[in-house]
Amino acid sequence: MTQLIWDGLFVGSFYALIALGYSMVYGIIKLLNFAHGDIYMLGAFIGFALLTSMGGIPASLSLGALLVVLLVSMLLTGTAGVIIERLAYRPLRGAPRLAVLITAVGVSFSLEYGIAAIAGPNPRAYPIRLEGGVFEVLGARVSLPQIILMLIAAGLMIALNGYIQRTSTGRAMRSISLDANASLLMGINVNAVITRTFFIGSALAGAAGVMAGAYYGKIDFLMGFIIGLKAFTAAVIGGIGNIKGAMLGGLVLGFVEAFGTEWFGGQWRDVFAFAVLIIFLTLRPTGILGERVTERM
Amino acid sequence: MRLRTRNMILLSVASAVVFTTAGCGGGLLSSEDSGASGASGPVKLGMVVPISGSSAPTGAYMKNGAQLAVDEINKAGGVLKGRKLELIVEDEACDAQQAVASANKVVTAGVVVSVGGYCSGATLPTLPIFQKANLPMIIPAANSQELVTQGLANVFMINGTGKQQSTTALAFMKKAGYTTVALVDDNTSYSKDITTETASQIQKDGSVKVLLKTSVTPGESDYSAVVRNIMAKKPALVYWTGYYQEGGLIINQLKKAGFSGKTMVADGSVDPSLTKIAGAGAEGVFATMTQTPDTLKGAEKWIANYKAKFKADPGPFSTQSYDAVRLAAKAIEDAGTTEGGDITKALEAIDGFPMFSGPLKFTPEHTLSSGGFVILVTKHGKFTLDNTLS
Repeated sequence: MTQLIWDGLFVGSFYALIALGYSMVYGIIKLLNFAHGDIYMLGAFIGFALLTSMGGIPASLSLGALLVVLLVSMLLTGTAGVIIERLAYRPLRGAPRLAVLITAVGVSFSLEYGIAAIAGPNPRAYPIRLEGGVFEVLGARVSLPQIILMLIAAGLMIALNGYIQRTSTGRAMRSISLDANASLLMGINVNAVITRTFFIGSALAGAAGVMAGAYYGKIDFLMGFIIGLKAFTAAVIGGIGNIKGAMLGGLVLGFVEAFGTEWFGGQWRDVFAFAVLIIFLTLRPTGILGERVTERM
Repeated sequence: MRLRTRNMILLSVASAVVFTTAGCGGGLLSSEDSGASGASGPVKLGMVVPISGSSAPTGAYMKNGAQLAVDEINKAGGVLKGRKLELIVEDEACDAQQAVASANKVVTAGVVVSVGGYCSGATLPTLPIFQKANLPMIIPAANSQELVTQGLANVFMINGTGKQQSTTALAFMKKAGYTTVALVDDNTSYSKDITTETASQIQKDGSVKVLLKTSVTPGESDYSAVVRNIMAKKPALVYWTGYYQEGGLIINQLKKAGFSGKTMVADGSVDPSLTKIAGAGAEGVFATMTQTPDTLKGAEKWIANYKAKFKADPGPFSTQSYDAVRLAAKAIEDAGTTEGGDITKALEAIDGFPMFSGPLKFTPEHTLSSGGFVILVTKHGKFTLDNTLS
């Protein structure tokens, strides 16, 4: 039981990190950025390239090296997110929503097969592996890397929350999500705020990518696909457009999967996860914490 | 009616193509006594194997193995009185749609025998395409039982079947004394075939107990659900029958979860990357596998030739692909023609053709009479021979 809760929490924090980017972008420009899962993949590959170029890293320094690589990868994936927004989404700002959605799918494929062309289609084993002590907590096996990764994830989420609640940019983000035109009239530089939103959301996904690479040890160019869909599900569960909802949704989805597989068997895991998506979309499209009525595609 | 008209058009286009190729090659007269690909010019062999996607490394091993055989045969004078062999490789990507498109491509290119097929799930939908074109298929690697259960006359498998692999797995469990097992597959045709067959053989046999039989979704990173299930049942052996990416992750996560039993993988997971992905859990993983060049006795010269040619080591299914081409050449030679039906008959008649897996004679259902599976084990990150079970 405690093992279930712990596993759900761990996987859920990955979902939450990625779901945040989905939710932030949706909250501000009403775009389901289906390329977001591939930003996660991009982050994993950037981290891979950085770690490989650093050469052999002694085990004692691996955590420090990982943190540095994590930060650099976040900067780079954030920048990639900004470039994608500038090239693929901003020209379509006034276009019908469906056109932007299709563009997002196009961006997703471009990223996947672009990486496949550059880095090769074969899966790669990550150059450093987080291995560490395992201890029992109330009957659950908890490992040190898991705790470190969850602390990083929690830290990032707390920082994000503070940023949105306390800074002027955060206030601008919230006001744009309420009414973009009115915000523009109030003198907010809407484009600059959207750019920042993409930067932050993509950086978080990139962080999740590096963390997944270092923990699970394998990356490949399609790794963002399923987890992207799961993060989208998490965002919907929590209430898409709602930042705290995305964090909550990620954890809820993690629990749903952990308990669902326990009761129904491993092969039902994805059936279970996406059935929850359908149930939420039909019964409560605004999600757990959603306030506004979301328009459905 | 509409369909018929379309067929007529296709037919006339096809005959026009035959007419022109024959015209270019050896004149009109010679086209009368030969098959669709003309009486001179190269004899084309089609090979649909994964060039992209997660199984791409194996595709390269297979392609090189086949190319080695083609070059050797051409050097020795080719087939049918001096005609050269030509290998046409297209991507299977371990994906049904891509495989169908590629199969159509090689059929259009005028191949006379197919020597490809790695992922069973992707090879299965190509069977009707080759059958309609009346082209024999010698499948070097894909080995789901489903490939032969349809009883198509043109399908031959030279890798051991899922059934034979299951028999070997069970024999090993009994011999090594693993009395409780968990069977895990990835829900693909090939993988599910082995777990289902193993489970039913175990049930018939009665001396081993299946504690858990489950599937995972391929392509994910987190397999904690199945790991939890396994930890709850505590089997002595976990038998994973999917491919190496997920296999490596599951082995690694089992190790992290403190699993104390052993793991065994099926032939789809026998790849050098498995141990890299599995990390700390990679030592002492068993595998049911047909002999690889590394484990075969007397293959040193062959390996040296391969290395000299491709500047790389041969890998899983290099030998089978090499043998598939040699077998195709032999059948074409025996048939004396490139006509599909005659080659199929020649394949059925083959008896004692020397191959890496032993002398070949097909069973009535066109599979090997013995699968040739052995048990490998990982040592220092490499698969080595553990037990031949004989």
